[in-house]
Amino acid sequence: MATLELEDVHRHFGGVKAVDGVDLVLERGELRALIGPNGCGKSTLFNLITGALRPTAGRIRLAGRDITGLPPHRIARAGIGRKFQVASVFDDLSVEDNLAIAAWTRGRRGQHLPLAALLTRLRLAERRATLAGELSHGERQWVEIGMMLAAGPSVLLLDEPTAGMTAAETAATVDLIRDIAATGDVTVLVIEHDVGFLERLDCAVTVMAKGRILRTGSFADMRADPEVRALYFGTAA
Amino acid sequence: MDAPVWLALAVFGGLAAVPSLAGDYWTGQLARYVLFGLFAVSLALVWGRAGILCFGQAMFFGAGGYAMALLTLGIVEVPGLSGAWPALALAVVLAAALALLLGFFLFWGAGISGAYLAVVTLALAVILEQVVRGWPLLGESTGLSSVPALPVGDNPWDPKPTYYVLLAIAAAVYFGLVALLASRFGVLLTALRTHPQRLAYLGYSVVALRIAAFVLGGAVAGLAGALFVATDRFASPSLIGFALSAEVLIWVALGGRSVLLAAFLAAIGILIVQGFLSEALGEWWLLALGALFMVSVALVPNGLLATPLLWLQSRLRRAP
Repeated sequence: MATLELEDVHRHFGGVKAVDGVDLVLERGELRALIGPNGCGKSTLFNLITGALRPTAGRIRLAGRDITGLPPHRIARAGIGRKFQVASVFDDLSVEDNLAIAAWTRGRRGQHLPLAALLTRLRLAERRATLAGELSHGERQWVEIGMMLAAGPSVLLLDEPTAGMTAAETAATVDLIRDIAATGDVTVLVIEHDVGFLERLDCAVTVMAKGRILRTGSFADMRADPEVRALYFGTAA
Repeated sequence: MDAPVWLALAVFGGLAAVPSLAGDYWTGQLARYVLFGLFAVSLALVWGRAGILCFGQAMFFGAGGYAMALLTLGIVEVPGLSGAWPALALAVVLAAALALLLGFFLFWGAGISGAYLAVVTLALAVILEQVVRGWPLLGESTGLSSVPALPVGDNPWDPKPTYYVLLAIAAAVYFGLVALLASRFGVLLTALRTHPQRLAYLGYSVVALRIAAFVLGGAVAGLAGALFVATDRFASPSLIGFALSAEVLIWVALGGRSVLLAAFLAAIGILIVQGFLSEALGEWWLLALGALFMVSVALVPNGLLATPLLWLQSRLRRAP
């Protein structure tokens, strides 16, 4: 059964069709990249899935349950985690508290959390007591990804997770995302513009244009597709 | 993060020593100031810790005060309820209920936050004060006088027993709130203040957390107001309106909204200084307070007392 299913989803802002009849099915444990030029509707689609916006029409289901139009906190409770493009962490709290807040939503007791393992995985073991506001940009991005992992979602939406990262941090993030998907429990949908990142991620790619799904296929196929090349990669790619 | 426990113990210990050092007049005055300090703590909780800028916190202080006056004067009788202490408990519940009602209306119904919330709560405080001024049951502009004092001690002219009881209540509430803020709830309030959107996307109801903080702040303010009216033996419309709401905001901003002890001490300190300076400067005292407020907001935005405390906490946290 599909974990996340979008059926003919529309979102219009007046006369502007930001999302115009999107059908999308993601299976459990699938890793998928979502690409497209700026303004094609990628972030609006994330907003619709996570409840920030209500669809003008269409249904969104999580593991068969209709979550269309639910508020963000109920959709998050249902199992959809979202990482924002700009790292959204609690600056006045320590790294450990940031992760603990996310873990509490699973009904776990903070002290029983395998936080140490998670912190090590995120390369933040030495920074557990540091305020999130004092971390570097890349570290803040990892803290937010760590919060998603601590919350234990069944679907993870990552909006440009490597924005502003160094090459080394980006490579480590690719490994982390692949590890998450490799568990087979979490479905991951990633918005990303970094072609190098997408190449290393080596997963199925869905291309959006003008609020619609244009193509879905492997990264190599998409890169070879003339229409996608013209639209997104540029003819020189 | 609040002030170190040893410092809070020293502050309350120092306040406990006042009656033996100062006369009955200052003990009586300080009893009132301690209650205003508790009132300031309620706003620091709501504004400084939960990020809800309430410009009408006196609504709950006054609601607690008027409820206490109505119940202990026998103007309103509740079957099975008699005596000052049950009346105090009911006054706190009524103030919290008012906060719950407003919280539902403001956060859940209207979805108001930020500067809009400040404006709306300010307007509500003004409206409530006008309602009280025109309501015969509440004594209209004259207020309600001869409110029975708290049944503490044998000698009604000795302010010390009442002072100690009020100080003990203030200390209990303070340390109770500090313990609460050190718990999971406190961590969530910090998250709520820092990034409510992130909190919602983790699965928390931001509205429910805001209402919880608002109700808790309302209950503490109501407790302070009820005790104040029983101590002052007088409930007046000025306890519920705009002026006191603005005053407590200045105390909390000057002391430091994010540290409960700083807000508590700022209220007491400013009221003591006000006693001296208003004699020397008359109405010019308010100008001096306003100037100090502007300088503090511009140069020491975290508050005159909280800034050194936060610096100290930061140093202690970084120490190996």
